Order: sequence, then C-alpha cells, then structure tokens
Amino acid sequence: MLVTWKYRERNTIIQKLDPRARFIFMLCMLFSIIQFWDSRVMLLFLAISLGQFVVAKITFRETRRVWLLVGGFITFLTMLAFVTGRGGTGVYTEEHVLFYLPSFTLPILGRKITFPITAERIMFGLSQMTRMLAISGFAIIIPYTVDPRLYGVTFRGLGLPDKFAYATDLAFRFVPTLGRDFSITLDAQKARGYELERFEGGIIGQIRKLAPLIVPVTIGAIVAGEEIADAMDLRAFGVAPRTWLHQLTYQRRDKILIAISVGVFLLSTVLSILGWGRFWIPGWLLRMAKG
Amino acid sequence: MGCIKGGGILLAANVPAVVVENLSFRYQTRSERAIQDISFELWPGEILLVAGASGCGKTTLMRCINGLIPRSYKGDLHGRVLLHGQNTAGMRLADISRIVGTVLQDPEKQIMGSYVCDEVAFGLENLGWPREQIIATVEETLEYLRISHLRDRETFYLSGGEKQKVAIAGTLAMRPSILLLDEPLANLDPFSAREALDMIRRLADEGRTIIIIEHRVEDVLSIRPDKALLLEQGQQRYFGDLEGFARTVEYGEVKLPAPLVIEKAKGQKGMAIAPPVLETPTSKDEPLVLFEDVTFGYEEGTVALRDINLAIYPGDVVAILGPNGAGKTTLIKQAIGLLKPTAGRVVVAGQDTRQTSTAQLARTLGYVFQSPSHMLFAPTVREELAFGPRNLGYRAEDIQAGVAEAIRILNLSGLEDYSPLALSFGQQKRVSIAAILAMRSRILAMDEPTAGQDYRNYMEFMDSILQLPYFSAILFITHDLDLAICYANRVILMDNGRIVADGKPEETLSQPELLRECHLYPTSLLQTNLAMLGRTGRFMRAEALACLEANPSVDSSAFGLVG
Repeated sequence: MLVTWKYRERNTIIQKLDPRARFIFMLCMLFSIIQFWDSRVMLLFLAISLGQFVVAKITFRETRRVWLLVGGFITFLTMLAFVTGRGGTGVYTEEHVLFYLPSFTLPILGRKITFPITAERIMFGLSQMTRMLAISGFAIIIPYTVDPRLYGVTFRGLGLPDKFAYATDLAFRFVPTLGRDFSITLDAQKARGYELERFEGGIIGQIRKLAPLIVPVTIGAIVAGEEIADAMDLRAFGVAPRTWLHQLTYQRRDKILIAISVGVFLLSTVLSILGWGRFWIPGWLLRMAKG
Repeated sequence: MGCIKGGGILLAANVPAVVVENLSFRYQTRSERAIQDISFELWPGEILLVAGASGCGKTTLMRCINGLIPRSYKGDLHGRVLLHGQNTAGMRLADISRIVGTVLQDPEKQIMGSYVCDEVAFGLENLGWPREQIIATVEETLEYLRISHLRDRETFYLSGGEKQKVAIAGTLAMRPSILLLDEPLANLDPFSAREALDMIRRLADEGRTIIIIEHRVEDVLSIRPDKALLLEQGQQRYFGDLEGFARTVEYGEVKLPAPLVIEKAKGQKGMAIAPPVLETPTSKDEPLVLFEDVTFGYEEGTVALRDINLAIYPGDVVAILGPNGAGKTTLIKQAIGLLKPTAGRVVVAGQDTRQTSTAQLARTLGYVFQSPSHMLFAPTVREELAFGPRNLGYRAEDIQAGVAEAIRILNLSGLEDYSPLALSFGQQKRVSIAAILAMRSRILAMDEPTAGQDYRNYMEFMDSILQLPYFSAILFITHDLDLAICYANRVILMDNGRIVADGKPEETLSQPELLRECHLYPTSLLQTNLAMLGRTGRFMRAEALACLEANPSVDSSAFGLVG
C-alpha cells in the first residue's frame, strides 16, 4: 500500500492557495535561482524559501529528519567542491589564495597534496550551499502543505494527461512508501543479527553488505508496481477520459501569486541577461588574499 | 428476456451468472498447467466456496474469471468463461471489471486512494462518470456497507478489518453483479472476519453472485455457501453442494468445523495420536524475558503499550491474541530490542534491552516477521538460511546442521538451490520461519506464522517446531484461536495496549465477555473443547477429541502431553 506524506490541516494562507499556483510558484523560483551565483541573491531566495515555513506554521521539529538528510547531502557536495576546487569551473577563472591547509604526501605515489583555501572557493561554497538549501526549501514544504488528495488533479490541471497525472500522484507517494519498507527491512535483518554499523572489507565488500537491505526493498518495489498495475486494471484505469472527484478553482489570491511568480522569473531572466547577479566576492576578502 | 443491471449495463437474467467450461491455463514461464479442465456454473445470488491447498490453482482460476488472464498474464489458455452468457474472450478488461468486481487477498495491495472517499470513487472516476453521480454512488455504497463514518479517514491508518471493507466498497461502487473474493479473511481478526462474512451473505441475498476463495473453510461454511469447488494440483476434485463437499474433503486437508473433523477422524483407522503440547511449567525459574512496568509510545503520540508486566519462563508456549492494533507486534519488538520502552524496562536473558543491540539479542530471541518479502534477499534458500547463523558467528558445521534441520522441518527439501524470491508466498513464509529456526535462538517468536499457509502445511510445521529440543520458550502472535487451542500452554489477550488476560488457555478462553472485548469469536473447536473440558481437563485438537470419543476408556493424559 502506498503511504502518503504526513499532512495536517493548519488553516494557513499557504494551505488555502490552489496547489497549481503553488507548483507554478515553486517552478518559477527554481528557474529564477539557477540564473544567479551571487550569494546575496541566494540569501534573498533562501529567506523567501524558509519564510514559507514560518507562514505555513511548520516547526523545525516536524521537518528535522528531512533537513538533516538534505543538509547532510548538501554539505557533502559543498565540501567536495570546496576541497577539490572543481565545483566552480566556469563560474570563476582565477583564484586568490588566503592560506594553505597542511599538505601531505600520498603514500606509494609520492605525490604531494596541497589544500589552498581561496576567496573564490569560500564564496562559491557559500553560494552553492545557500542555493541548494533554498531550492530544497521550496520542494520540502510541498508535501507538508498540499493535501495528498489533490496531487493528481493538480498535475492534470497543469496540463498533464490523465494517465501521467495519476502516475505522478503515485510517484509522489512512492518516496514515503520506500522509506517505510526500508525501515521494516532493516528491522527484519537486525533480528537476524545483521549490523549495518559493522563495516568490513573494501568497497565491494561494503556494497555486498548492503544487499540484505537493498534487494528486498528493490524487489518489493517491483512486485508492488505489478500489483498496483493489476489493481488499477481491475478498476478500469485508463480506458476512458477520467473524471476527477476533486475540483480546483483559481481564486484571486492564486492569480496574484502566479503573477508575482512569473514576474520574478521574468525579472530574473532580464537581470541575468544584463549580467547582474553573477558570482560575487566581497572586496575585503579579496584584499585579505592579496594583502 | 429478463435483464439485471451490473456495472450500469444490462445483463441477461435467465442464464447462469458464471459459466466456466473446460478451463485450462499454463503460464508462459512454466512448463506445467496451473489449472486443468475446470468446469462449473453459478446462478445469480449463489455463493461458491473455492477451497484447496496452496498452489492448487485458486488464484489462476480467479485471474481467468476477472480477465487478468490472458490480458495481464500471458500463457496458453483453453476453454471459456461466460459472464451472464457473454464470452469474456472478446471483452475489454474495463467491460469485465464492470461485471466482475475483484477483492484481493491483501486489501493493502488493492487500495489506491489516500482517503476512503477517494478509494471508493477510484473505479467510477476511471469510467468517466459525472462527478455528482460519483459522489452520490460513493455515499450510497458507504452507507450500504455501514461504513459512512470512515468516509474522510486516511486509508493508511485504518485497521485491517476497515481496510477490507473499504476495498470491498471500492469494488462494489462499480456495481458489479459478480464478486470475486480472494482470501478475504486472511488478515482479519475473528470479529472483523465475522462482520465481513455477514456482509458477503447480505450481498448474495440481494442477488449478487459471489466466488470466495478461502483457506478458512470453517468460517465460510458458517454463511452457508450454495456450492463448493475443491481444487487439487490444478484439477477439479469436487464441485457441487456442501453435503458432497463435506463427504469428499479430508479432515487434514482444509480447516473444517471441529464436529465434522471429529466425525471424520473417528471413522479413520490407525488415527495418529495428537502431537505433543508442552506442559505448562510448574516451577518458576529465572524468567527468560521480563517486562517491568513497560509503557511505549510512538513519536506521533500513539501509546502502543501501557503498564505491561510480563515474565516468560522456560517451557512457555505463549499465544498472543487480540484485535488489530492491540499492541501485539509492538510487544514482541520490545523483546527483541527493535523498540525501546518509553518507561519501565525489558530484560532478556538478564540483559536490559536498552543496553543491548538487536543483533546481540537475536542470539536469545529469534523473531519471524509477519511479511517474508521484507527479509528475503539471498540467491538461494540455503544461503538465505545461513545468513542469520553466520551473523551470529556460529561455526560452519553448526550452520550447516542448523540449515539442514530447518529445511527438513519447514518442508523445503528440493528448494535449497532455488531463489527465495522466485517462490510462492506460502513457500516464502516457510523460508522466513526456517531462516530464524536455523539461528537456534533460545526463544522463538513468530508474528502470524500461519498467514497465507494452507492448513496441512502449517499444522505440520507447528507440530515439528513444538518438538524441537533447543527452544526454551515459544511465542506466537495469531488471529487463529484454534492455533492457540492446539499449541499454546499459555494465552495472553491484549487490547488497546494492555494485557487483559494471561493464563492457561482453558482459563483465558473460557470467558465469552473477554473474548468479545478482544475481537475474538468462539470457534467450533473452542466450543467443543469447552463442552468436553470436564472430561479432558485441558484443550485438545479435534483429532485428539475424536480419539477420546472413539476410545472412551483412554485417559486424556495419553495424548502427547510432554513435560
């Protein structure tokens, strides 16, 4: 059975908005954000993104697990780009070294590894992190504020055909379902003496060690897919144009939100074309590097 | 010509609702036929019970009638199926689904909607009915099934019984004239099963034709099906009225009412003496598992266990009974350390579960999860069974011996080199139990060990497990009252997170009020045992009672009671 995201009615303005307007807003913000690299602009978008949680009355406690997971992933990517210096290729062309971290020599190869900390790497890391956090915020809030009954009709209303709209609804529910199945499998294997913490062997050995978790969850998902297809077939899915039980009607506030969203996107595009909002390094940081 | 309405379309009324003629089918991937030469007919308003062991072809027959074969499952199909006189061969699946409504064994696999209202409306939305008509039909169907109060509930949080009713509602809303029910009672507590059966009887009385596939034959017989079909290895062994069915079927084959089993067993020559039931331990040694004032609540605020005080001693064979959501699984998960108490403490073999990992506790307590699909991963059955003992650091020869014994007990010989993932559900369930048996933990805990198993199979493996020397105690969670009667020497009744009764089966199960409170429904075996308790002094399986009736001079203590 597909699990729905935890949703609770909170009677806030965000929940009263038409989900189609919410998705349009999210997409416009996303396409606006990706046009900039200026950390100050990113901070503005991050403020809007996190501001939604305040308006929607969602506490950090409720979303803590998601933020920890997403935050961990973002930190990993940012640190990787920071240490290797490869992430900003194309965004900046020269680097100004602030200081070097202690270097070391690779055993056997004898190659000396140095870690220069540059003004560009710091600002790129900051920009990348705020950018990804802002985008995540726009996405994470959706399941907490959109009634799970409305996903299908929302996607239909956004122009997707019936079958795709319902499939997208199912795909949305697939994520928490996978989480639940993973947790049950982990418990079942722990009861057989399996310890995820006990890592042994090389990379291949460690991947093999994950098989007791990955195989049941993957096979379970495939089998569940077939069962869902059978259950849908038996109830005449896809044989005729579908009626959607729930109906959506744009209100004035939805139209205003769409207008603002499109406006922000167009403005961002124009500013971007004019060269505004590109990668930015504060003067004092550059002076520190040069001085 | 008279007409009846099904799925909003007119159907001929003066012809049988279902005609199956010389039906055979072989799956594309198999060499042998799943069903062969099946023929029967049913008239509107009749109920057909389809019985038989696992793998006898019941589900294949169902797929042929509801059109999934040959549309979704390809293979070699012979013979024909007529629904109200129309051959299904030329019909679209959508048209068949308006005549035949299918309720799958596990409602979780059928429910598509996040909320009850959406679930019931799903089929009608697909048929493109006008919105107002859908709303009216949903209301009408919910009211008809007396579940209007569930209308705005999230389907995920419904109990097993409620989910089953909602799945039936989703099917009924499409107004089918024929209902196919695949093991509709499998996941229900006895009380919910009784409600579902009453509902099925009512639907038939109002003119719907019902085909019900069920292992729990005794329960279905209580609503007086008109006909019965007995399948064996894909072939039709019997089709006809219930009297003929009762004469044909053997008592160990499917679960029959106790008086019928006693009647049949009495006439058998060389009847086997009942297998042993462990005697209730009299001396209270150091408990193996100890719950002290345990309370547990989930993060979202649900309190699942309240003030639990419980000690499991060597020699205990404990059946844990109670309605869905009573806290039975949570109780076992505390003992294996998968959940830790919010208050109080759980001690297993002298170790506080808060200070011990589940992997360490697995040496003492082996836990068989309810669903086998969540744990099977290895390329062969043999490797699957060796996984647990290897994790526990056993020696290679001990692992080999444990695996071989588990294979023998669970009747898995010949399947050692098969992939567990390619086996049937019943076989997978047995592999999951074998996987824990191979670990040779001191205590064995099983969650619904008989779910999805046919009667003969589960009685056989329960008999074998009870005789294993290395288990100091056995616990099993079940909805099957008769399983507790046949095997347990201690019964724990749970309701709403509390233990409401704990004692010998003869004491706990003889209180009708308590049973009703815990959603249990007295079975014919319980009633027969209660009637004979003065003579037997304890509960026995029907075969043992038959033996006692056939040989009045025999002392009841001769029936395999072991200390």
